[in-house]
Amino acid sequence: MNRLPIDPALAWESLPALLDGLKVTMIITAIPLVLGLALAFPICFARMSERRLPALLAEIFVVFFRGAPLLILLYLVYYGLGQIAALREGPFWILFGSPFGCAIVALALNHAAYMTEVLRGSLMAVPGGIVEASEALGISRRNIFIWVRMPLAIRYGLKAYQNEVISFIKGTAIVSVVTITDLTAVANTIFEQTYDPFTPILCAAAFYWAFVNLIRVGFTLWGRWLNRHNAEIVEVTVAAPVRGTALRRLAGLVKVTP
Amino acid sequence: MNARPHDLKAMGEAASPAILLSGLTKHYGSHRALGGVDLEVRRGEKVVICGPSGSGKSTLIRCINALERHDGGRIVVNGIELTADEGTVQDIRQEVGMVFQHFNLFPHLTALENCMLAPQLNRGLTKPQAEKLAMLYLERVHLADHVRKYPSRLSGGQQQRVAIARALCMEPRILLFDEPTSALDPEMVNEVLGVMEELAASGVTMLCVTHEMGFARRVADRCVFMDHGEIVESGDAATFFEAPRSERLRGFLAQILR
Repeated sequence: MNRLPIDPALAWESLPALLDGLKVTMIITAIPLVLGLALAFPICFARMSERRLPALLAEIFVVFFRGAPLLILLYLVYYGLGQIAALREGPFWILFGSPFGCAIVALALNHAAYMTEVLRGSLMAVPGGIVEASEALGISRRNIFIWVRMPLAIRYGLKAYQNEVISFIKGTAIVSVVTITDLTAVANTIFEQTYDPFTPILCAAAFYWAFVNLIRVGFTLWGRWLNRHNAEIVEVTVAAPVRGTALRRLAGLVKVTP
Repeated sequence: MNARPHDLKAMGEAASPAILLSGLTKHYGSHRALGGVDLEVRRGEKVVICGPSGSGKSTLIRCINALERHDGGRIVVNGIELTADEGTVQDIRQEVGMVFQHFNLFPHLTALENCMLAPQLNRGLTKPQAEKLAMLYLERVHLADHVRKYPSRLSGGQQQRVAIARALCMEPRILLFDEPTSALDPEMVNEVLGVMEELAASGVTMLCVTHEMGFARRVADRCVFMDHGEIVESGDAATFFEAPRSERLRGFLAQILR
């Protein structure tokens, strides 16, 4: 290639449109993240319940919405629900009548299914002994959840949550198929108008990258704050001695090699 | 009981033992963990339970504060009978403090916060009140200099002393110890036993599963030997160690005193 794949003038010209797209992507990320997480809690409690029926229903929810491809889920909500006359005439049509509402619903259901499992795994990772110690102190179940299990579960689940959020952000690109002009859709439109495939797509990728890494930095800071109780330990036991032993091992190898 | 018959109220108080177990049974599936245990612990009495691994001694004390639910017989703690009713469980847990083999401190809270949590949640103490109380007991276990540290920054012995202080902050009248020194390095055992001996002198009722025979001799009013979910032999510390009656206890002592 004898020239840059990017046309700087076009990139500069597209900037406002791409930023508008990024704004839509951010909104279509944030709302389902909040709704999905809120939904994940009751579903997770049902899933972990000792009663059969709620546990079974929650499991079916998770299996279905985690298994269903997001694109097909989106099509089902957007095109499928419109076929139901009762819904078309009901009050929920405000939600399901707009592509934005449909996208929010589909993404939130998908995120809720994943978060149910992240939450369940994190809660199960809390050592039983610590919960027992709380019980022995006479702390009520509700308070044990709020003050002991949940604070620890957040720490254990943070990495999994971060992964889910990041892959979710990229997954939102799919909403462009139901006419929402998110970052990907804007880039695609510019491509179709200019026949320059690289500039808009690479610019969009850069915006996704920046957005994702902003989130990542946020998670890193949050995790560092949450884990301040063993911050010093990590430095002392992981950073320094590992390097030391590795060097010593290398030195040992050198010695025994004739 | 030495209460005089005309002093009925005092008798009522003194006559109900701290802990009364009668015909206590507990099964895990088909495995019989406790096979009809009768045990009475008077108020202020220090009782040491020992026995081989799997003899049911941990199960026994874990049944007393309902960390394990018994499936036969009676448990009465300070006159409160433990039933299926959750209310009795909470009432008994207010009377009984417990110290575990693996400390089970809250890793996300400092030593001070570990001690403050239950008094704030259960007894409605304000933060300054809870802090004052926690400081009092942390000083009593000789940790006044370490109150702001997280558990990961404390040695095993220090962690166990925080756990003792945490239990004391609920001001229980009965303390259960489940092998409190078994997970400690040898040089830390004495600092924990020292604190426990000081506690014993304060008049609190203690039921302690331990293999620390020196501690048992110095502190215990009575030693109980369990095997296969039954109490095989019990007696005051001197006769227990010097003149064991049963073959099984003789064998056990020979094993651990070797």
